[in-house]
This record gives sequence, C-alpha cells and structure tokens, in this order.
Amino acid sequence: MGRGGPASSARLIHVFFASYPFRRLFAMHFLITATTMPKFLVGIALVTGSALSALSTFEQAVGEVPVGQAAVAAQVDKVSFNDQIRPILSGACFSCHGPDEKHREADLRLDLRGHATGEDGSGVTAIVPGDWQASAMIERILSDDPDLVMPPPAAKKERLTPDQIETLRRWIDEGAEYQPHWAFMPLRTTTPPNVSLGSRASNPIDRFIANELERIDLAPSPAADRATLIRRVSLDLSGLLPEPEDVDAFVRDRRPDAFDRLVDRLLASPHFAERWGRHWLDQARYADSHGYSIDSQRSMWPYRDWVIRAVGDDMPLDQFTVEQLAGDLLPDATKQQIIATAFHRNTLINQEGGVDPEQFRHESVVDRVNTTGVVWLGLTLGCAQCHTHKFDPITHREYYEMFAFFNSTTDVNNAGATVVVEPGEVLGFSAPQWLRHRQAEQVKREAELKTILQGIAEPVDDSPSSAKSMFSHAEAKTLLKAIAARRETRTADQQSRLLAALRKAFPEQAEQFVRWETSNVMVMQELPDPRETFISVRGDFLRPDTEIGPLRPRPPRLVQSIDVPEVSQSDGDALTRLDLARWLVSPENPLTPRVTVNRVWMRYFGIGLVETEEDFGTQGTPPTHPELLDWLARDFIEHGMSMKRLHRLIVTSDTYRQSSVHRDDIERIDPRNRLLSRQNRIRFEAEIVRDSALSASGLLDRTLGGPSVHPPQPGGVYAFTQRDKAWVEDQGGGRYRRAMYTEFFRSAPHPMFTTFDAPDFQVTCTRRPRSNTPLQALALANDGAFLEFAAATSRRIMRERGDATVAQRVRHAFRLLLGRSPSPGELATLEAYHDSVAADRIGKTTLVGASDASGRSGVSSRDDDGSQAAMAAVVRAILNTDNFITRE
Amino acid sequence: MSDPSDLRAAELRDSTRRHFFGDCGIGLGAIALQQLLSGASDSAAAADAGAATRAAGPMTPKLPHHVARAKRVIFLFMAGGPSQLDLFTDKPALRELHGQAPPASQMEGKRFAFLKGNETLLGSKYQFGRYGGCGMELSELIPEHRRIVDDVCWLRGMTTDVFNHGPAKLFMNAGFQAPGRPALGAWATYGLGSESRDLPGFVVLQSGPRGPRAGATLWSSGFLPTSYQGVPFRGQGDPILYLRSPRGASRDGERQFHDVVRSLNQERLREVGDPEIATRINAYEMAFRMQTSAVELMETDGESEETLRLYGAQRGEPSFANNCLLARRLVERGVRFVQLYHTNWDHHGGPTENLDHHLPEICREVDRASAALVIDLKRRGLLDDTLVIWAGEFGRTPMGEVRESIGRDHHVDAFTLWMAGGGVKAGHIHGQTDELGFGVTEGKVHVHDLHATILHLLGFDHERLTYRFQGRDFRLTDVHGRVVHEILT
Repeated sequence: MGRGGPASSARLIHVFFASYPFRRLFAMHFLITATTMPKFLVGIALVTGSALSALSTFEQAVGEVPVGQAAVAAQVDKVSFNDQIRPILSGACFSCHGPDEKHREADLRLDLRGHATGEDGSGVTAIVPGDWQASAMIERILSDDPDLVMPPPAAKKERLTPDQIETLRRWIDEGAEYQPHWAFMPLRTTTPPNVSLGSRASNPIDRFIANELERIDLAPSPAADRATLIRRVSLDLSGLLPEPEDVDAFVRDRRPDAFDRLVDRLLASPHFAERWGRHWLDQARYADSHGYSIDSQRSMWPYRDWVIRAVGDDMPLDQFTVEQLAGDLLPDATKQQIIATAFHRNTLINQEGGVDPEQFRHESVVDRVNTTGVVWLGLTLGCAQCHTHKFDPITHREYYEMFAFFNSTTDVNNAGATVVVEPGEVLGFSAPQWLRHRQAEQVKREAELKTILQGIAEPVDDSPSSAKSMFSHAEAKTLLKAIAARRETRTADQQSRLLAALRKAFPEQAEQFVRWETSNVMVMQELPDPRETFISVRGDFLRPDTEIGPLRPRPPRLVQSIDVPEVSQSDGDALTRLDLARWLVSPENPLTPRVTVNRVWMRYFGIGLVETEEDFGTQGTPPTHPELLDWLARDFIEHGMSMKRLHRLIVTSDTYRQSSVHRDDIERIDPRNRLLSRQNRIRFEAEIVRDSALSASGLLDRTLGGPSVHPPQPGGVYAFTQRDKAWVEDQGGGRYRRAMYTEFFRSAPHPMFTTFDAPDFQVTCTRRPRSNTPLQALALANDGAFLEFAAATSRRIMRERGDATVAQRVRHAFRLLLGRSPSPGELATLEAYHDSVAADRIGKTTLVGASDASGRSGVSSRDDDGSQAAMAAVVRAILNTDNFITRE
Repeated sequence: MSDPSDLRAAELRDSTRRHFFGDCGIGLGAIALQQLLSGASDSAAAADAGAATRAAGPMTPKLPHHVARAKRVIFLFMAGGPSQLDLFTDKPALRELHGQAPPASQMEGKRFAFLKGNETLLGSKYQFGRYGGCGMELSELIPEHRRIVDDVCWLRGMTTDVFNHGPAKLFMNAGFQAPGRPALGAWATYGLGSESRDLPGFVVLQSGPRGPRAGATLWSSGFLPTSYQGVPFRGQGDPILYLRSPRGASRDGERQFHDVVRSLNQERLREVGDPEIATRINAYEMAFRMQTSAVELMETDGESEETLRLYGAQRGEPSFANNCLLARRLVERGVRFVQLYHTNWDHHGGPTENLDHHLPEICREVDRASAALVIDLKRRGLLDDTLVIWAGEFGRTPMGEVRESIGRDHHVDAFTLWMAGGGVKAGHIHGQTDELGFGVTEGKVHVHDLHATILHLLGFDHERLTYRFQGRDFRLTDVHGRVVHEILT
C-alpha cells in the first residue's frame, strides 16, 4: 500500500496537478480560478454552476490540506486502492453495493473484486479492468439521467467530483486492483527511514516524522524550553503540576539524560498510575451508580483500584486484557483476577419498576460486545447489531457469535455475582491504626443511634422530643433497615445515609465518623449451562432467529491473518471469553496493538495517527504515518506489550518535546498540524483542571484508592434527577482528593465534570471532546472549590514569600501555577491588579479556609493590609487564564 | 451534511465571518481570516471541526437546509405519560364496556410494564365536550385548553416503541432508547447555533415534585460536542450554577478581574498564536454578560400583573407556570431550544398517583400556563416562528391497573400530543384511534416521524442532518422517520 492516506482524492488537487499536469484542462482551470480568485468572488463562482465542484475542491484544498499524504501521493505512480479508491467507494457506493445483503441493490457488490468485475461468474460488468469506457460503473456515475445516475439522488449522497471520477478511471485502466483494508492486514515490518537528523536520529519516531515533514518542506519546531517541558510531561504523565523546586532542578540539570531521568521518576510515581488508570476507566465506562432513571449508588471502586494497581505495575497489555475480560476463567483465578472482571460489570442496570430484566440483560451484553469492539479492535461492531455491517466485513451473524461469548454470565440486570472487598485490599495496604480505632468507636455510636431511631420508629411516650425532630418516622425506618443489615451487605446508599445520620445525631463527633466501606463489587461469573444465543432479528431481543439456530461463540473473521480456533484451548469445548481475550492479544492480531499505540499517541499529541481512534474500519480516517503506526505496534509486541516502555519511547522523542507555538508556515501548509511540525496545546480534562489547582494550593491529599469521596457540591444538583442522592460532604482529606475519586452519579455527575466535558459513562468513552464554553468560565471564576484553592495558594505564597515584594510574590504564583516566569507585561498587569485589590480590601474579611461549593460562605478572617485578598485575587486571575488549564 | 455547492454555504460563511468579527473584538490577523474562509466550507456539519467555528464558537448562528418555519422551540415535556383517555379523547364505548375484559384481539402479543393480564376496561370518569372550530374533544380537567383549541394542532395518533419511563423519555428526546445519543435540543443547536449571545442555546427547566427519570441524559449532547448539551436552569435563585460572583465582589471589581484575565489571555495569544485562546476570551466575555442577563431573565418585575395572571404565576415562586413565563422570556432573548419538564403524570393508581385526585391536581398545575404560553406568544407575534410542543413519553392504557386505586398503565400504541405555531396547522386534528383507544386507526405518527417533522420545521432534511461518530453518520431519526406533511401549513 502507499504511504499516505487521503480521505478523498479531491483534497489532493494541488499535488495532483503538480504531479499530473494538464490531465484535465477544465480541472486546471479550477485550480487557477480557485487560487487567484479574490475571496469575495468565490460566492459568485458558486452560482455559476459549472464551477460548483471547483468550490468544494478549492475549499478543501485550502482548508484541510492533508499535506503529508498529498506529498506522498504525488510520488506514487499507480492509484492506490486503499488510499484513493476505497474512500470513494465506501462513501458513495457500499451502503447499497456492499457487504449488507439486506440493503443490497441490483445484487451488485463493489466491495469484492470478483463480483464487481464478473470474474466470479456474477454476470456483472460494473468494472471491466483495463477499460473504463466499458465499465458500467463509470457510465452510471457520469449519467445525466436522474434515473440512472449513481449515487442516485434518493441516496442523498453528494455527487462524485470530477477529480474522484478521474481517479476511478485511472484505477480501472490500471487494472482495478483491490487491496484488503489496511487495518485488517498484518503488521508490516517497517524500518525507520534514513533522514539526516543529526542529534534527532536517536529516537526512531523522529525519523518517521521527519521523513514526512521533509516531503512538504516544513521544519520541525525547536524543543520547548525546559520549564514548559517539565510542566507538559508532568501533566501528561501524572496529571499534577510540578513543584517549583522540581522545575528549578530540571532547568539547572545539564546532564544529557536529565529528561530521561525526569520521565523515569514520573513513570514510577503512583500518580502516573492514577492518571493513566483514569484514561482506561473512561474506556471501562466506570461509574459509581447504576444508570437509567433510578441511578442508585453502586460500589465498584475496587475495580478502579485494580486498574490503578495494574497500570502502576506496568501489567503487560495481554495480561491486562485477559484478566479483565476473563480473569474468572483463568485456572485457579485469584481474587484480584476476579475483581478485574468488573470491567464488563460497569454496564447499566435499570432499577425502574415494571422492567423486563431479560431486556436489560440483553442490553448489557450488547454493550459488552460493542465496548470490546471499540476498545480493543477499534471497530464499530455495534453497526452489525441490527444488520450486516454496511462498510466493514462484519456480518449480522458474526455479531451474535461475538455476543455468544458474553451471553452466559450469571448477572441479569440487577442481580449477579459479587465479591466482598475491603478498602486497601486491592492496592495492598490495610487500614491504619487510627482508622481502626475510629471504626470501633463508630460501631458503638451506631448502637446508640439504633436506640434513638427505634424511639422514633416505634414511639413510646417518654422518648426524648429532640430525637423525634431529628429524623422523620420514614427516615428512621430506612436507617434501621440499614443498621439491621450486616456491614458487608449494606448498599453504598445505605452506608452514605448512615454516615449522614451519625454526623447529625452526634455533631460534636461529626468529623470522627469515616466512610470505611466494604464493597460488594460486581464481577463476571459463567453459568454452569450456557444460554443459547440466536441472531436477534433487527436487533430486537424478542425476535430470536430460531431458523438459523443457536450460534457458537466465535470471534469475527475480518482479520485474515489470525486463525480463529474452532474449539477452546482450555477444555476442547465451545470457545469462552478466555479464548476471545487471548485472540484479541495474540501477536498475530494487528488491530489491538495498532489501536492501543494509537490511543496512547493521541493522549500525547491531542489527536491520533489515526484520527478516528475508535474506528479503524473502512469508514475511519487512514493513518497519517502508517509505517510509524506499524513500527510502534510491532515494537510494542516485541517488548512484551509493556505500556510504560511505550510511554517512555513517545515522550522522550524530539517530536513530543517540540514547542507548541503556532507558526505561520504550518498554518499555511498543514493547518491542522497533522504531520506534527510542532506540539499541540491541549486543554486538560475535567479531573486535571481540579487536580492541578489542588496540587498548586498544597491542599492535595495524595491518598490512593478506596471508596469514592464527596467534596463540596452545589445544592440543587439532584433537582433534575428522579431520586435525590445521598451526597454527604466529606470532612478533612476527602475534600481534597484527586477528582478521579469523586463519587460519580451517571444521571447527575458533579457539575465540574460535566462542564469540562467528562462524559456520563453510559457507554465507553475512548476520546473526550474538548469544548470551550462560558460555563467553564463561570465555574473557574466562581466555584467555591477554586476560590478555596486560590485562597490556599495565596496563603502558601505568603508563607513561602511573605517578606518579598509584590513582584516577587507574583513571580512565585506564576511558578506555582504555570511553571514559568511572567513576562514584563504579565507582571505589570498583575502587580497593578494586586495593588488595586489590596487598597480596596484593607481591614475587610477574606476567605482563608474551607469554602462551601457556592463560594459564598467559608472560613474567613480579617485582612489587615489587604494583601491576603490581593494575592488570592492574583491567583484567581491566573487560574482563569487559558494557559492555566492548557498543557502547552 | 449538505451539498457544498449549495448557495447557502456562501451565506453561511459570510454570516459566520460577520459574527466572528462583530463579537470577537480582537484582531487575529490574516491567519485567522484564512482559516475562517476555509473552515466554513463543508456546511454546518463540518464547520464544527473548522477553524472558523473554533474561533467563533459552536453556537454561531448557522443556516439550515431550507427555509425554516420555526426558529425556536419550546418543548413542554409532561413527564410520566399523561392519560390521553382522560384528557384528549372521549371513548363512550370504553364507558359502556367499563369493567369488562378487554378484547383478546387487542391484547395479543402486547407487552405492558405492570399489568398482570386480569385487568378490565376503564372508562373515564371525566366529562368531555367538543370545542372550537375544529371540534376537538377536551375533558373538564383542562378547561383552559379550550382557549387555544383553534391555535393548536392535535396529534391523536402518536405511537412509540418503549414502555419504561427512562428509555421512553430518551426515545422521545433522542430517537433511541439507550443513553448515548444527542437530544433533539442538541441536534437543533448543533444545526442552527443560537441567536443569543448572553444565554446558552439549549435551556432546560424543571418543575414538579422531582426530576424526570433518566436525568441529565435526557438533554445530553450524546456524541455531539458537549457545547450542545442542554443547560439546566433552576427555577429559583441563581438559574445557572456558579453564576454569582464570590461574596464581597462588586460588579466593578469583577469587571476588573475579567479585564485582567483578558489581558493575560491576549498576551498569551500573541505569544503562542493558538486561536483556542481567542475562543476562551470570547467565552469569558459571554460569561460576564450572562451574569447579568441570566439574573435579569429571572426577574419578572417587568411583567405585568395581567401577564402573571394569564399564566397563573406567582412572583418568585417556582412552578410550571413560572417556567412557562421564563420559557417565553428565554425565546425572546434568542435561545434556540427550551425544554420544560413537569412531573409527575404517572397515574398508576398508587398512593400519590391516582386518577381521582392527583390527575386533576397536575392538570390544574399545567392547564392554564400551557394555554397562556400559546396565547402570550401569539399576541407578541412570536407564535408564527416558535414551535410549542406539549407531550409525554407515552400514553396510558384503556385498561385499569389495580393498585390502591384504579389507575392506568403505560401505553405505547396510541397517545395524544399537541403542537402549536412554527409552521403547523392551527385548529387541526390529525389521527384517530379505535373506539376503545387501543390502537391508531388513521393518521399514525411514530416518534421518529415527529422528529422528522420537527427538524423539517426547523429547516432540516432529517436524513441529511448527520454527525459522523464511530464510523457511521448518525441522525436523530436513525434509519426511520417521515415528515408528516398533512399537519404543515
């Protein structure tokens, strides 16, 4: 296959004309028109009809020149099926003339060469290799007759551009050769190109990148300065800001391997495990509630902890895969391996009255199939749930063969297997002494609470009246039920309500009570006798296709290079989830490693080598650097599928270390920076917005794992949900944990998450959007948490630089929050702001401690010279800059 | 999405450019201009990825496929499923056969949420009359609806696929019963942007004893960019979270704060040249304006006593009536899509859900204000291009459901909703059900058809308003939907 991968040959107009001059006179005219026409005339050209396609060509050429691909195409002699023809056929033809037999028109398939050419005896002459004029396909595309033209007007597809048609003609004349889709072909052995890089030659990644940049004559950007670099790599690897001392040490460190040392230190940090564990949890659609309308709490945090541990231990991807998909089926499965299978119990549960449990069991199996397809294979298997996939070679039947792997677990909507897990168990630490002491105290108080509650639930005349007003009759009954339940069988909701009740009943001890929950984590468990799996007609679980009969579990056959075992390796019977998991990570499977390395790449550059990281099928975008992708995938396999090694390889490349500053020549030649002649600026995820502010303030509680926590949350979040949730604000450390530990209700997440684009985890999320909205501005400016962080950061500055000048304090604030020094302009702006606020706030009270979520009440004290308030205002302003929430 | 050769592409580009340079307030130089010219090429769908939209914001007004009849939508969502048999359609036969077993032919192959199979037919105890020129049947429970009977288009042949609340609400909103797809309001703002510079494009209001089942997933943007998700406004106090400045902050002080932030952002923009920073500068300006505009929105002091009486709203008291008034104020301010949820219409016959007391009660909460909204929009000249939709997620069964009292279960095969303004026929009845109200005999409109029609009124071909996600072009109507031309003016 060729090296580039343009989505549409129309986009290549510049290069095509450079390469194939004067091919079509009228098209040449377009080029001249488009490039020389004054902008205001473009609108007029639109109306003239003959130039219609010229406009689209022109706009795409200017707006989205995929330069690297174009440059490559210019050197290719033959038309490439995968790069040039398949995108045209897939976009315009396959939905009616492709794999899906139910919607196939005229019994014509254009996705199979034998069929399209009639060579397999299909009697079709859509394509006559070597002779476009005899090919009915071209004739129909060129037709002016609305009854004949392809694609037909009723299909509501755009007509092919002259350039696309020309490409098809050439391809037919050259013999109409087909190729399998690139992603389904085995990994190639590629070698880093020889380019004259000087010192940049050490990392193979840079050779691949430089090779493409050379072709379009774009120079790479210089390395980012050290301060930017340490902030970038700290945020990317740990999600926390570097401390000023770390920045200074790194800036001063002149050893040649200074950066490597920094990377190694970050990779070894538990915060790396949190940061990258969180990325995986997105894909696992992990949340702390059941979803749908009732959306009660669930207790799946041991699974979250398992992920943190596995990522921290650098568990190889094959083991990571097998344990999560089929840990329960491993011989002598350990408790940890069983906890790992909670991955596929993160599916939704509908607790509404009157539901058919079988319907929602079916929904969860559908979700497991679709999630597995997207996460490991980068394939949209879900398309084949109702019919054979229209674009990719996945049949309706294959979908349900895949379904059969997941169809025989014991869980049915809200019932299923669970495992009791103590906090700390997964991460390998036990409760500290002080906590055990508090727990014992709590048990005593619980007994006292029980007496109070009984007095309310079954009142006798002499019950104290104060107790009566504390809890309603209904509340008392609910709480008694919770107390009556054994500790390990209490639901998360019961545990929360009980905690709130204890705090209410014994306010003087409120801060002593702890959330020390035992979890009943939901896990996968196989039925002794498997359920039969049928094709669901049109995806309807009530319409099993009994004519075709029950299906045996089988992985899809689209990847030609892997043998699909017929019988299980383990006991010679039907295939199991364990066989599926092993198939996914077998060294012959090219999709899993390609998808994995691409997703890691995406986190470091903001966009993958394959932009549609969730779709490696024929409708997805082709890779910008196919050889690099395969090289990375192969290297990954050859080194035992170690994730940390992959991380190190990427972040130590010069490509990663480039400056992210925009350049005019890049804007002109490669405006989307797809060939990476600079780094990209990336706004953090919701969690990291909070975590970074928290880490600068010095308030961060670095505890790992455990039950989810409840920082302050504005009132009224549940006004829009069917059921009020028990959100008992944590005292002490629980307020300052990393955001990934905040309890997550699918129907009403903490507003901070939603505002900064966290999904609601109803389904797997492989890539988060990055919006830029006024609601984000309001949250950063006014959320009590950020005001509290600003006040704490300000106190930290006064503590560390209290005797310094205002300018020095502002500099320190910059170092804490942005990891760099202010420019003279920035310094002047903030100094003036500081003095203005200080003058205004002399002698007034100012926030110095914990704030409520609205930011309107909190611990305050008198500010004698206004400096505390002024410094907090400076910090608040910096927290609200684009720079602060962006890793540059 | 649409044909790039479409003349509107050029208009779109121009309007985008105007909007951008009108509002942005800072010069970005030739690079931005070039991106702007190139980015808006591929119609609204591609424009999201385009540089122009990145700089000008996802809510920049965009032109649809054809001339829109409705420029904005107010969707009054009757959460729980109102009983069409007690409000909108008189069934004498049901009264005659009251207490008898339903015809076996009507029960075959049907699935219900709670019915056990031994329930009997339940005639409505409420009196019906025929009203207006169209002769629509309305029960005594909703007397105020008589005032708008000839302003409204009545759809009595609605059907849906799903009989549980959460999934059915998702279906009514997003055309799909599982979470993960964009809501109608998200599609509308994705396609059209918003006319409001100071308020979100898609606003959600809530009244009644609790929120609707399925919560925020009902106004989710699904796989669309999150800018298009609905923003819940609280009916009381600060309508938007984090709207109010910190304690002790003055408006002048906050202006100064915003100036400082802008100045720092501008300097960084000059330094690194990333147009995202320009977008953020705009976002902060809008946030600052929103702090006054959203508060001003909630202040109904300027509304006359007569208007408040019309709606039945009390100043400062959250209610469905108050939300209807807010909905009018929102669309007056250019908000594209306003959705009101009111609970609880789920009259199974349980202790707080019976047909004898609770149904009349919720009708009193909703009747007057619903009618008032149509009347008020009309007299202000807004009804012509505002589409008002009044609907639940499904209807209720002709059979009684036995709980503490006799109620009705969820019914998907035949229910009623109404629409007004925005290009639908006024005083028109579409659809008829059989004599017992089990199924639709003529004028059947499926939820997908309703969606196709709403999008049509907003100027879209529902088959071409698409978004590419995980390898597929998704649309609100999936692979279904037919525009109900019979109800269009």
